[in-house]
Amino acid sequence: MNDLAVKFAGVGKRYPHYTLNDIDFELPTGSIMGFVGANGAGKSTTIRIMMGLVHQDSGSVEVLGHSMPAQQAEAKLDIGFVSEDMRLYGPATIAWHMNFIQSIYPRWDQPYAETLLRRFDLRPEQKIKGLSHGQRVKSALLLALARRPRLLVLDEPTTGLDPVARREVLAELMAVLADEERTIFFSSQNTLDVEQISDQITFIDRGRIIDSADKEIFLDRWRRLRLVVPPNTALPQFPGIVEVGGSSRLPVLTISRFDPAMVAACQEAGVAVQAVDPMTLEEIFIVNVQIRREGVVA
Amino acid sequence: MSASMVIRLVLKDWYLSRGLFVAAILAGLATLGAVAAAKGAMLAMILGVIVLVTILIGMGAFLMSSTVNERKQQTLPFVMSLPISYLEYTTSKLVGSLFIFGVLWLALLLGIVVTILITPWFPHGLIPFVVVMAVEVLATTSLIAAVSVTTESQGWVIGITQVGSLALNAVGFSIVRLDGIRDTMSGPDVHFSSTAITILLVEFAVIALMLAIAFYVQSRKRDFV
Amino acid sequence: MYTQYIEMNSSIVISQSDGRPMYLQIMEQIKRKVAVGEWTAGEEIPSIRMLAVSLRVSVITVKRAYLELEREGVILTQHGKGSIVAYDPRLAPRLIDGELQEHLEQVARIGMAVGLTTEDLVERLRDAEARLHADALVKEI
Repeated sequence: MNDLAVKFAGVGKRYPHYTLNDIDFELPTGSIMGFVGANGAGKSTTIRIMMGLVHQDSGSVEVLGHSMPAQQAEAKLDIGFVSEDMRLYGPATIAWHMNFIQSIYPRWDQPYAETLLRRFDLRPEQKIKGLSHGQRVKSALLLALARRPRLLVLDEPTTGLDPVARREVLAELMAVLADEERTIFFSSQNTLDVEQISDQITFIDRGRIIDSADKEIFLDRWRRLRLVVPPNTALPQFPGIVEVGGSSRLPVLTISRFDPAMVAACQEAGVAVQAVDPMTLEEIFIVNVQIRREGVVA
Repeated sequence: MSASMVIRLVLKDWYLSRGLFVAAILAGLATLGAVAAAKGAMLAMILGVIVLVTILIGMGAFLMSSTVNERKQQTLPFVMSLPISYLEYTTSKLVGSLFIFGVLWLALLLGIVVTILITPWFPHGLIPFVVVMAVEVLATTSLIAAVSVTTESQGWVIGITQVGSLALNAVGFSIVRLDGIRDTMSGPDVHFSSTAITILLVEFAVIALMLAIAFYVQSRKRDFV
Repeated sequence: MYTQYIEMNSSIVISQSDGRPMYLQIMEQIKRKVAVGEWTAGEEIPSIRMLAVSLRVSVITVKRAYLELEREGVILTQHGKGSIVAYDPRLAPRLIDGELQEHLEQVARIGMAVGLTTEDLVERLRDAEARLHADALVKEI
């Protein structure tokens, strides 16, 4: 039994228009990793490399103990994959797809599949071409979930879904994790979802991993300090101040490595600390991207 | 290589094209019936042949386009998420599609041969020529299959289908003039001359070569989506 | 075999619009349940994973909440056997007291910032108590 479900080491891929560089991360079995990045950052390419659909130019990829892309057929027996650009066969019905998948995968759970049909409000006799976008996504998710795969790889699973459908999908994803031998990797633009359900978070921008850590560590390390600086008082300097906003009298410091001692240091320097605000994942990600693109904003 | 997965993929492709397939068989048999009923009228025979070849080439192009369609209709990620290697996928598209086509092809070839044998208006000597031309159609379709799988491009498939059809006509005209073919065509016996056999062997070799090249080109690809 | 997804009504509700970290919300709600006696000493509480699934919150967040709660002596996690409320008869009153202490510190902090004296604060406290008594009387009528 592997304790790493996914391991990327030094993975690179060159395309005419952009490059994926030095992709390193690990996903332990039983956790859920959220993959956050802007459009074109390299999320989909990374996911395709993970599935063995794209052959990396450098570095090693191991999924469920299998080397990719060489052992992709064996690996995919245990992986459920849904991507936003994936379509099912229009003229066929949901039921046909369910039968098709059932004939291939031994772990198909028919009672669970029927539960999902009810929860996702889908009828098996519906043809795919008659479904709305949200229904198609839910159908594809149903096909992946009902097989009870050891690893779920999802590229934007909730994008384009209405709030009710999103909530149902998140509930089903979390239910997967009730089994601690099962793992989920998902990319999403919805930072709220990522913040809520992920154990680990990886940020990617312009083909590079810019940060990868436990979610709680991220949320702990980043703070916005709202200060009141009296005239003729210098702003305290700390390592890890990535951004100084606000005005000179009422500055707002964005700090990437917060330490409670900083509050005391401010007060000793005569600077009043009005608030120590935590930051949402979205704010952390945006700041991360901004400092890479523009340098530290003074 | 998992034969069972390849078979499942081929069955899937057959399921998705079953409507057109049945229509093609019915249309082909209807054409044969019409030709037989025309009591040997030259025009009817020629028209019948043209219609049959059109059905075959058209159906062939449609079946072989399934690779192009996977990409166009964006079902490729779904297929590639199945527990298959790229080799198995290529095999299902190349060999599997040709197999489905082959069923139609064989059905119509047998239909023509039977029509010639049981109706009194067609000299049985036509049969070797018919077989040679039928294998020519098979070769053209193999070419379309090879191009479709390797380029995954609608434009290329359309282009090669047209080129293939023209080539088919050209080859047909040249073969008809060959000694080994022409002199037995109007005879009452089914006689495969050495010319006919040579041509058949060359055609099958060409088919095998095209498939081999297609497999080779596919094996060099690194990215599948 | 696969663990079934059981619809667990742990009756803890997490609010996304609450600005505080989720693990703190979870901790607070668990402490309140213990304080009012809904969860009693020694009682088994949902496992980290089951609570995470029913709240739709990451396992790591619930794990952190449980770790902090264990550090504060509110719960005990027995390795491999799940978690229970700590066997402390004074736990409930202690938690209530802890909450009171937090509120008092908050009052003191605001008082200092606004410039109220201790006497002012006591005066305001008496006013508040009086208002509560009056409300209670009105309800009885």
